[in-house]
Amino acid sequence: MESVLIKTHGLTKRYGSVSVVKGLDLEVKSGEIFGFLGPNGAGKTTTIKMLTGLLDPSEGEALICNYDISKQPAQAKSLMAYVPDQPKLYGKLSAREFLHLISALYRVPKDVVKERAEQLLNLFGLQERADELLEGYSHSMRQKVVLASALIHQPKVILLDEPTVGLDPGSARLLKDVLQEMARQGAAVFVSTHILEIAERMCHRVGILKDGLLIAQGSPEELRQKVGREGESLEDIFLELTGSHENAELIKSLEEG
Amino acid sequence: MKILLPPPLESPPQEQSFWQNFILLLRNQLQVSWNKLRHRPARALIGMGGLLIGVIAIVVSLGIYAYGSLRTLSPDTVQGFLSMLFMVGLGGQIFFGITGAFVALYMSDDLELLFMAPVPIKAVFAVKSVVIIGSNFLTAVLFAFLPGLFYGLLFQAGASFYILVLLVGLGLWAMGTAIAELINLLVMRVIPPHRSKEAIGFIGALGGIIIALSFQLPNMLMNSRNKFDLGSWLEQQKQMLSVMKFFPWGWGSSALVAGVSQNFLGGLGWSLLILLVGVLLFLIAFNLVEKGFRRGFISLSQGERGKRRKAQTEERGVKLQKAPSLAMLKQDVAAPASPWLGMWAVAKKDLLSMKRDTREWFGYLVPLIIMLFFIGQFLFSSVKTSHSTLMTVLIMYTIMFSGNMALQSFGREGESDWLLNSVPLAGWPVVWGKLLAAILPTLVLMEVLLVGTALAIGVSKTLIVALAVGAVFLSLGSSSIGLFYSINNCRYNPDTPQQRIAPGASLFMYLINLFFILLLAVGLTYLFLPSELVSALRDLPAVTYKGGLLSGLIYGIYLLSRPLLWSTAWRVFLGVIVTGGIWAAMFFGFMAATVRQSRKGFRVEIIAGRKKRSR
Repeated sequence: MESVLIKTHGLTKRYGSVSVVKGLDLEVKSGEIFGFLGPNGAGKTTTIKMLTGLLDPSEGEALICNYDISKQPAQAKSLMAYVPDQPKLYGKLSAREFLHLISALYRVPKDVVKERAEQLLNLFGLQERADELLEGYSHSMRQKVVLASALIHQPKVILLDEPTVGLDPGSARLLKDVLQEMARQGAAVFVSTHILEIAERMCHRVGILKDGLLIAQGSPEELRQKVGREGESLEDIFLELTGSHENAELIKSLEEG
Repeated sequence: MKILLPPPLESPPQEQSFWQNFILLLRNQLQVSWNKLRHRPARALIGMGGLLIGVIAIVVSLGIYAYGSLRTLSPDTVQGFLSMLFMVGLGGQIFFGITGAFVALYMSDDLELLFMAPVPIKAVFAVKSVVIIGSNFLTAVLFAFLPGLFYGLLFQAGASFYILVLLVGLGLWAMGTAIAELINLLVMRVIPPHRSKEAIGFIGALGGIIIALSFQLPNMLMNSRNKFDLGSWLEQQKQMLSVMKFFPWGWGSSALVAGVSQNFLGGLGWSLLILLVGVLLFLIAFNLVEKGFRRGFISLSQGERGKRRKAQTEERGVKLQKAPSLAMLKQDVAAPASPWLGMWAVAKKDLLSMKRDTREWFGYLVPLIIMLFFIGQFLFSSVKTSHSTLMTVLIMYTIMFSGNMALQSFGREGESDWLLNSVPLAGWPVVWGKLLAAILPTLVLMEVLLVGTALAIGVSKTLIVALAVGAVFLSLGSSSIGLFYSINNCRYNPDTPQQRIAPGASLFMYLINLFFILLLAVGLTYLFLPSELVSALRDLPAVTYKGGLLSGLIYGIYLLSRPLLWSTAWRVFLGVIVTGGIWAAMFFGFMAATVRQSRKGFRVEIIAGRKKRSR
C-alpha cells in the first residue's frame, strides 16, 4: 500500500510582515519522486528547511513518516536524510571518518557501518581519497560525500536541494539512478531543482512554487492538460505557469529579428 | 552499473540517552581538533611553541616581580591584589570567551548538519559549550588558577589550601565563560551574518593589540624599576581594593586568604559560593543560548546572508519593478569611453572594498598605534630622542607603510581575478587605478600623522611643508615598488583574507624599499647639507682607486661625497637632479614593469589551509 511519507498542511513561513511560504499543502507518497520547482526566491529552500526541522514554521505543520517534525523531531529526523545545495562538512575530517560519524549520529548498528561505508565510498568513486581531509575536496566530491552520508542510514525520506549543481554528467546520472532505486524500494524522494529536463525525466510528480504559493502540482502529463498545451515540454509549462513566457517570447523574437 | 542499496527503515532506531549523544559529539569534536593539530604545518607548531615559551617567560617574570613585592604587604592589601588579578582574569575570559562563543556558535559550519541529525539539540549545545570553555582555558589558568597556586607557595600553605584554589578557579572559569556566552547572545543579534567574519577579525585584532601590549609589561617594569614600586602603589589603593570584596573576584580572594590563615571552613564557604554562582550563571547562559537557537531568537536562517532584510527589501521593491524588456540588446553599440573612467572604476572598487570591510581598517590602525608609541616615547621617556630622529623614523615608516599597503592591492581581487584580466583595461588603467586606491587613504593618514606630529613637537613651518610634499613623492615611489611585487606574488586565503602576499616577496619589497631610501638619501644629502659630515670630509685625505672591489667601493663613496664640498648652487642643482632622477627611475620603472605584467595577465594564488589550490 502506498503510504504518505511527506505531508504538509498550511505550512507558512513569515519574516516580519513578509510571507515567504504561504499555506503550503502537499503530499509525497512512498515510492514517489517529487520535483519541487520554482523561480529564484520562490521559497523552495525555505520549504525544505521547514521540512527538515532547520526552520520553525510560522504556521501549519510538516509530517515526516507521520511524525510531526516540530513535536517529534528525533523520530522524524532518524527516518530522513537531507542533501543541501551547499554542503558544509567538517573540513578536518576525512570522508571515511565523516561517514562513520553520520552512522553513529543516526544510530546505525556498529557491525554494518564499516561494510556499508565502504560500499557507498565505492559507489560514488571516493575510495581512493577516502582518508584525505574533506577540506581538500572539490565541490562535486563534497556533494558525493553528502550523498553517501545521506544513504548510510537507509532513510525512508530523502530531501535534496539542487543536488545536481556542480556534478559532472556521469555523477548526475549516478545520482538519478540512486534516487530511482530508492523510490523503487519504497522511499519518498523530494527534489528541488532548476533543471527542468531532469525533473521531467525523473520525477513522477512535480509541484511548482511561485512567490511562496504552490500554483500547480501533478505529473508532467497532468500539468500539460491543465495549461492546455499537449506535447509541450515541462520547461514551456513552467514558463507559462510562472509568467516567465514573456521573456521566452522576447528572446525568440530577438533570435528571429 | 547495478546499484545495490539496503531497503529503507520501517521504524526509527532505538533512541540514545543524552549522555551517549554527548559523548558521541564530544568524541567527534576531539577528532576534528586532533586532525586540525595533526595537519598543521611544522612551522606553525614551532611558532605556537615559541609563543607558549614567551607567555611562560612573561608569567614567570611578572610572578616573581609581583609576589616579591607582596611579601612585605599587609594581608588586606594582598587580598586586594588577588581580587584585582581575578578581576582582570574575568575580564580576559569574557573578552576571549566572546570570541570563542562567536566562532563556536555563530560562525560554525556544522550546526545545520547537527540540527538535522536525530540527536537532542541540548547535546549539541553542551558540546559547543565545552568548546567555549576550552577557549578560555589559558586565561583561566593564568588568572584564576596560577595566582592561587603562587599565593599558596608564597605563604607555604598546606595541601587542603589547593582544594580551595581548585574550587575558586573552577568558579571563576565557569563565571567568565557564562558571562561571555550571554554577551555573545546579544552580539549575535546585533552583528549581521554577512559581517561575522569582519567582527571576528575586529575582536582578533583587538586581542592582538592587548597581547602585544602585555608583552611590553616586563620591559616597562624593568625600565621603571626605580620609579614604580608595586607594594607602595597597592598600599595607596587600599580603599579601592577593599571595595572589591563585594564582587565575585573579591569572594575568590577572601577564600584564599581564609585558607592561608588556617580558616579552611571559612575559605570553603567562599569558594563554594563562587563555584555555585559560576555554575548557576553557566546553566542560565547554556539554556538561553539553546532556547535562542531553538525558538528563533538566533536562528540558522540568520546565517544565510541576512535573509530577513533581503525579504523586506524585496517587498518594497515589488512596486518599482517594470516588465522585463530585452530591447536594450537591440541598441546600437556605443563608442568606448575614456580609459580614465576605467582607471577610476578600478580605484573606486578598491576604495569601497576597503571602506566596507572592517578588516582592512586594521592595516591602518597598526601604524597609528606604532606612531603613538614613538610619540609617547619621545614625550614621556627618560631617554630623550631628538626631533630629527623622531621625524626620520616617521618618514621611514611612511615609506614602508605605503609599500606594504600597495602590496595588498592585487591580492584583494581574490577569486575574482578573472574580472580585471578579462575586461579591456589591462595595462595602465588597472595599474594606475590600483595605485590611486592604495595611495589615497595611505597618504591622507600619513600626511595627518607626519604634519600633526611635526606640529606637536614644534618643528619649523618650512620643514613641515617639506615633509608634507616629500611624503607624497615617497609614498608614490614605495607604492609603485609594492604594486610590482603585489602583481607578481599575490595570493588569497579565504579563511584569512588579510594574507595577500607571499612572505618572500614581502621581504624583497622591504629590501628594495630600503635600497630606494638609501639612494634617495644620497640626493637629499646634497640638498640638505649635514655640517658634521662636511667638516669630517674636509679632514679626509684624497682617495685613489688601487684596483679590487673594496678599493672601488671606497673610491665610489669618495666620489659621491665630493659634491658636498662644491658651491651651494652646483650642489643643490646636482641634488635636485639626483633625487628627482632616482625617484623617477624607481617610480616609473616599477610602474612600467607592473603595467607590462598587467597586460600579460596576473593570477591570484588561492591558498586553502596548507594546500595551494590551482585553478
